[in-house]
Amino acid sequence: MHMTLLNAHEGIEYRIRAVDTGDEEMDSFLFSLGCYPGEPITVVSHLKGSCVVSIKDGRYTIDRALADTVAVA
Amino acid sequence: MRIALAGNPNSGKTTMYNSLTGRSEKVGNWAGVTVDKKEHLIKKSLGGDTPIIAVDLPGAYSMSPFTAEESIASAYVKGENPDAIINIVDATNLSRSLFFTTQLLELGIPVVVALNKADINSAKGTHIDAELLSAALGCPVIQTVSTTGAGLDKVISAVVSLMGKGQKAPYVQDDIDLSHKASVIEADKKRFAFVNSIVEKAESRKVLTKDRNFQDKIDDILTSRWFGIPIFAAVMFLVFQISQVWVGPYVADTLVAWLEGFQGWAAGLMEGADPFLSALLIDGMIGGAIAVIGFLPLVMVMYFLIALLEDSGYMARVTVVLDPIFKKVGLSGKSVIPFVIAIGCAIPGVMASRTIKNQRERRAAAMLAPFMPCGAKIPVIALFAGAFFDNAGWVSFVMYSLGIVLIFLGALLVNRVAGHKVRKTFFIMELPEYKAPSLWRAFKSMCSRGWAYVVKAATIILLCNTAVQIMQAFDWGFRLAESADSSILASLAGPFAYLLVPIVGVLSWQLAAAAITGFIAKENVVGTLAVCFAGLNNLIDTEELAMLEGTGTEIAGVMAITKAAALAYLMFNLYTPPCFAAIGAMNSEMKSSRWLWGGIGLQFGVGYTVAFMVYQAGTFIATGSVGAGFLPGLMAILAITAAVLYFIRKADRGIKSEYALSGAAA
Repeated sequence: MHMTLLNAHEGIEYRIRAVDTGDEEMDSFLFSLGCYPGEPITVVSHLKGSCVVSIKDGRYTIDRALADTVAVA
Repeated sequence: MRIALAGNPNSGKTTMYNSLTGRSEKVGNWAGVTVDKKEHLIKKSLGGDTPIIAVDLPGAYSMSPFTAEESIASAYVKGENPDAIINIVDATNLSRSLFFTTQLLELGIPVVVALNKADINSAKGTHIDAELLSAALGCPVIQTVSTTGAGLDKVISAVVSLMGKGQKAPYVQDDIDLSHKASVIEADKKRFAFVNSIVEKAESRKVLTKDRNFQDKIDDILTSRWFGIPIFAAVMFLVFQISQVWVGPYVADTLVAWLEGFQGWAAGLMEGADPFLSALLIDGMIGGAIAVIGFLPLVMVMYFLIALLEDSGYMARVTVVLDPIFKKVGLSGKSVIPFVIAIGCAIPGVMASRTIKNQRERRAAAMLAPFMPCGAKIPVIALFAGAFFDNAGWVSFVMYSLGIVLIFLGALLVNRVAGHKVRKTFFIMELPEYKAPSLWRAFKSMCSRGWAYVVKAATIILLCNTAVQIMQAFDWGFRLAESADSSILASLAGPFAYLLVPIVGVLSWQLAAAAITGFIAKENVVGTLAVCFAGLNNLIDTEELAMLEGTGTEIAGVMAITKAAALAYLMFNLYTPPCFAAIGAMNSEMKSSRWLWGGIGLQFGVGYTVAFMVYQAGTFIATGSVGAGFLPGLMAILAITAAVLYFIRKADRGIKSEYALSGAAA
């Protein structure tokens, strides 16, 4: 099954497989936060319309559209 | 010498800058508070005899900028050759921060790393070996707490000792083709790998960030599907209720009594002087300024409360809560921050739109932020609430709520006129850790903004009041006008008074003059009304901020307008274009004269339409027939509507032809 942050389970650490937002600047912005293939990522909670993720030692909230562009395994 | 403060967003750069220089620049617990470069000499107690200028820069995650304010940081350190860089590193997120650090170390400029938020780390049991880090990075690493100023003296002496020396980079990027995307990514990955290897050795953690903690539970409630918005509404309601009903007015009473004592004393000194001079000085200058300063406590209490909110970390959560709603009108949660800041003042509110990546959204936020009534509009609201509505709390609440509604409607309109195409936009916001807001910092923020308010009242407002008083006293032949109606002011403002008839129901050059001076500064509306309606002046200046004591009807009598008209006139002043300074800020953020004029046009149109509808509907409900000037007003509204429809159709055609073109190309 194709798994993205959208259907990732809360509290489980995943590895990022791919990040493709279709927007180069957005991709490299996510990169500078430490969100790129091979890195660990954890969904802390799913909210209405968004989810809270933990990347490196930061917490971010990202909307569903963005969450769907980060493939994890 | 010049030292630049650089680092990730929300790492504490401006807090450190304030501690170093003694300034009180705006700080807040979210990413992207600082949107512009600021510089100032650092305190003698820290810098000694060497004059050192600290340069505060907006935060950035890396040297390649994402948004407009991030580019300021990289452009400065690359282009302006600072003598040294203090790299503020958020010690709670070392692994992310050091990516930027290694890039800064490549510039050849001496770098001192300030390992900030050391206090949070020790509370969490996270230990960072500063010596090991220093050896690995090849630069001094000093633990700091910028909220208390701990470690700053060491940072400065480290900077001074490095003066004139270069900087060796611990990690140098391979020589790669920067235009080739894949090789840039590879190089950046290697850089992160280098950072990770350092962090692994230098850092030991007891609490892992990925684990759910107590703060996440708070987040669950504050950003929950059902409670998020009601909580936000309740918080904002409390801010207004406390500042404008519960606490503010009581402090205002004392202040006004004191100011009146001063005015009476000054009037005593002027006894026997030329009556014109005495009127100019006592009623015009002092009276007008007092009318404005009397509202200072309301404004200051609100600044205090907003500073607490900004310090707590709640603002970032508000953007999360409101993002889904704002998406519906083509904006995103990011635009919430400009709107909330605009409650204090529209200028920083408009500037805060800089952190929005999408250009259309950024411009829309810049033109819509002034719909939030700012601090300068509080006196206007309070004056009318007191004069016509028995100081009812709902007046102020309605004004802010309507401001929010207008932002939504305005955003929809901007989309249609600007030809918004449905396309993917992403929202990402860092959630900073909550912290107990510092009362002392909120107090300082309140004082510095309150002081700015007093200075404004004592300069611009005073000057305007004086000019208004003089123009009202003389006719064009520079003789004392027989009555105010034949004065220069009456003839200048007279033509505009016709435009206001459909809003206030009477031809009043005084109201027109006040609205016009309001474009210079909104407090002027109060000052000018105080000067123009001589009787009003005395009413505002009676003992206990008169309006609280039921003189309301009397002021209404002097102004000779109905309640519906008063409400309409108030709304006209709140929702038309803000002061010139805010328009200047809109101009510099929008960077397009078309958008600027569009924005001003939108604000005029909205202000006029809302005021017209309120007055006419209110009059109809109260008397059973529409108010004066209904037909001309209706025609004006229809003209505005027609213009808007024209622009929408033009935009639609533009989109259609664009789609047709891309279709043909494909």
